[in-house]
Amino acid sequence: MFRLTTSPIQSHALDAENAGGFVSFEGKVRNHADGRKVLVLEYDAYPELAISEGNSLIAEAIEKFGLVGVTVIHRTGLLALGETAVLIQVAAAHRREAFAGCEWIIDQLKFRVPIWKKETYATGESEWVGISDGRSRPTQDAGFFERQMRLPEVGPEGQAKLQNARVLLVGVGGLGSASLPYLVGAGIGTLGLVDGDSIEPSNLHRQVIYKFDESERLKVDRAATFAKQLRPGVKVETFPYRVDQSNVDSLVAAFDWIVDGTDSLGLKFLLNAACRRQGKPLVTASVHRVEGHLLTILPDGPCLNCLFPEVPPEKCVGSCADDGILGVVPGLFGILQATEVLKGIL
Amino acid sequence: MKVKVRFFAVLRDRAGCAESIVETQAGSARRFVDELIESKQLGLPSPLIRIAVNGAFVEDQHELHDGDLVVLIPPVAGG
Repeated sequence: MFRLTTSPIQSHALDAENAGGFVSFEGKVRNHADGRKVLVLEYDAYPELAISEGNSLIAEAIEKFGLVGVTVIHRTGLLALGETAVLIQVAAAHRREAFAGCEWIIDQLKFRVPIWKKETYATGESEWVGISDGRSRPTQDAGFFERQMRLPEVGPEGQAKLQNARVLLVGVGGLGSASLPYLVGAGIGTLGLVDGDSIEPSNLHRQVIYKFDESERLKVDRAATFAKQLRPGVKVETFPYRVDQSNVDSLVAAFDWIVDGTDSLGLKFLLNAACRRQGKPLVTASVHRVEGHLLTILPDGPCLNCLFPEVPPEKCVGSCADDGILGVVPGLFGILQATEVLKGIL
Repeated sequence: MKVKVRFFAVLRDRAGCAESIVETQAGSARRFVDELIESKQLGLPSPLIRIAVNGAFVEDQHELHDGDLVVLIPPVAGG
């Protein structure tokens, strides 16, 4: 059951005789965010949709983890330091499912359920958290880029260009998860991550930013966490779905550089066409067993259709699942894609 | 046609109101949102905004009708 409340949240243990594991999580108002002192938090919700979306989230969690009981209560309105903003209680037959289900619910809730958070700082400023157009955000990364900015090819001007850039990674599998750390490290201001997949054990030999115990978690979520842990100042926008005809144009429109890390020929041609229509540069790469290729497609240069006039039929060139892949191959090509983006921006 | 628009969080601050009745000829929900970003100077890239019509999330191509309640959902950060 999902509930919104304006009064302080009380925690009561769930009773379920068939449950051997019970996990209770409370999200609280913390006194700092990104190095700034927080005085007060305000939560705003769209109640009708928050409740229906919250309940469908719970139904999915019950199905996915085999939970026997779930309660989620979210506070709205003004909250003081230390107050509980959200309570998630999960009961399952065994502890493993209870822990996994509880963590999955809070991760999903944060990007699916229409509830917004406004922080008011000791300086008197306030800000809606997680909402920004990404540009002209002051960097809190002092010292981070010191070695890179020594390069005459970068310098303070180059670093500012990287900070103002918006780069879209389409797919955070083998290729995307390899380019991501270096793009974050280099100081790209805003990264968009598009991928509807969850982590599977068979991904990990090549998608090494993910961890063994993150199976079944959404890749875009874990990749965003990885990015934030590496450099908290990076802005990450996640799109937890597959790119397709209906969303490709609006995704491409919102970014400056597009990095294709998809595993489908159809999607590569779809991205190629969208980037061509909108005059956006695209860095595409593909890997196969122990080899790969990479192509940077600039708005005024040749594109994928010049190379392959006809869209080849799907699966005609095999897949990682069918043919196997050596882990370092997408790693190498992902890093080359990151290099192409940095070269283009600088 | 006329639709009712409701704004939340940063979009409410930027639009300067919580609700508004808007006359539009937009063929799809996404097109309508793009119009609003322009006319109300909402300052967020369109793909960041999800769209709900009459209490449920809808796809970009969803067709709007007279009297619909359209809600613009900026990135959420509950919890």
